[in-house]
Amino acid sequence: MKLILSDRPLKLSAAEADGVKYFDLSELKIAGCTGCFGCWTKTPGRCVIRDDAVNVYPAIAESSCVLYISRIKYGGYDTVMKTLLERAIPIQTAFIRLLDGETHHYQRAVAPKKAHVIAYGDNICADEKAVFSRLVARNAKNMNFESYRIIFTEESGIESAAEEVLKKWRKY
Amino acid sequence: MAEILIFNASPRAPRSNSRLYAEIFTKVCRIKTEYFNITKTNHIELCGKVNGFSDLLFVFPLYADGIPATLLNFLKSLETNPPGEKPVISVLVNCGFLEPSQNDTAVEMIRLFCRQNGYRFGSALEIGGGEALPATPFMRLTARKIKKLAECITAGKHRILHTTMPLPKRLFVKASVSYWVNYGKKSGISEEEMRTLRIEGK
Ligand SMILES: Cc1cc2nc3c(=O)[nH]c(=O)nc-3n(C[C@H](O)[C@H](O)[C@H](O)COP(=O)(O)O)c2cc1C
Repeated sequence: MKLILSDRPLKLSAAEADGVKYFDLSELKIAGCTGCFGCWTKTPGRCVIRDDAVNVYPAIAESSCVLYISRIKYGGYDTVMKTLLERAIPIQTAFIRLLDGETHHYQRAVAPKKAHVIAYGDNICADEKAVFSRLVARNAKNMNFESYRIIFTEESGIESAAEEVLKKWRKY
Repeated sequence: MAEILIFNASPRAPRSNSRLYAEIFTKVCRIKTEYFNITKTNHIELCGKVNGFSDLLFVFPLYADGIPATLLNFLKSLETNPPGEKPVISVLVNCGFLEPSQNDTAVEMIRLFCRQNGYRFGSALEIGGGEALPATPFMRLTARKIKKLAECITAGKHRILHTTMPLPKRLFVKASVSYWVNYGKKSGISEEEMRTLRIEGK
């Protein structure tokens, strides 16, 4: 499966035709993670908060191509995307393994991913790009990205950047 | 006024590891501290408290490789409600994984916030293995590092500090199995159930 998660509405012509699943997170009701670890220790693989996030993290797990579109804030994802990513930990287990010599969690049934991240904002400075790039490099290990690419753009450039990614996905 | 304001940005602040680390900080710090949990609804109130403090210390967990949304949202409030005089901002961050350096990006984010908003960045203490640490004898070692952090902040001699459980990685991995198996047991969930590959039952 191929998946787009966006923190704002997108006008994409090709998405549906290409069999891509798309969530506009800004339209969904997703509460903040409370750090209860229920998804690891009480109802493994299920978040105890039964809101819209429970439809999104299974889609992340299934997808082998993901495109995440988020406003950038302080070198990270802005609130909408960050809140969702925090709610996605039911797709990992509590248990820890060594990956590239570092400790990380085991994944449940999570497909390895080719990931694209579009980080948008006005005049994103070099420092901010550097921090965001380090963040996604770390995400790659915890979110099972086998490869990733980051695209920085102004808000007006999101759609064309996304169309480019969809074009690439046709190969897969 | 040389006093340190401590904000806990863990989403489970009242029951958090961050709270335990903040309590140690308060105990070992030679100057007065005031402590508050960040909640969804108290941002404006907390922004109002910042005035007059020489230092602000954020205590928080690493969440998905960065600062938790709780802290992100508070920083956005602070950006729109800045204090008249800006304190030096320091950080005490803990993460579940063994390597304290996994917290680097979160520290960089706070640095970036400081640069973008005209605050001086002070010191940081990055704690690895921070989820299980409070239940181990290694807390003494951690307390020593927290004391060092307090000294750096009070002296204005800023540094980035790191600490973790002094265990080989493979031993940490083993120990973490018992930690989580015991956690599950409290809810009557077996290790096998916890290891399920199913997500939402599928
Ligand atoms: C949603 C979520 C995301 C987390 N992400 C990470 C992570 O990326 N890296 C890590 O080492 N630990 C991660 N942790 C573990 C916490 O940082 C760790 O349990 C910490 O001790 C919690 O501190 P607190 O009790 O002060 O909230 C995460 C925990 C949760 C609930």
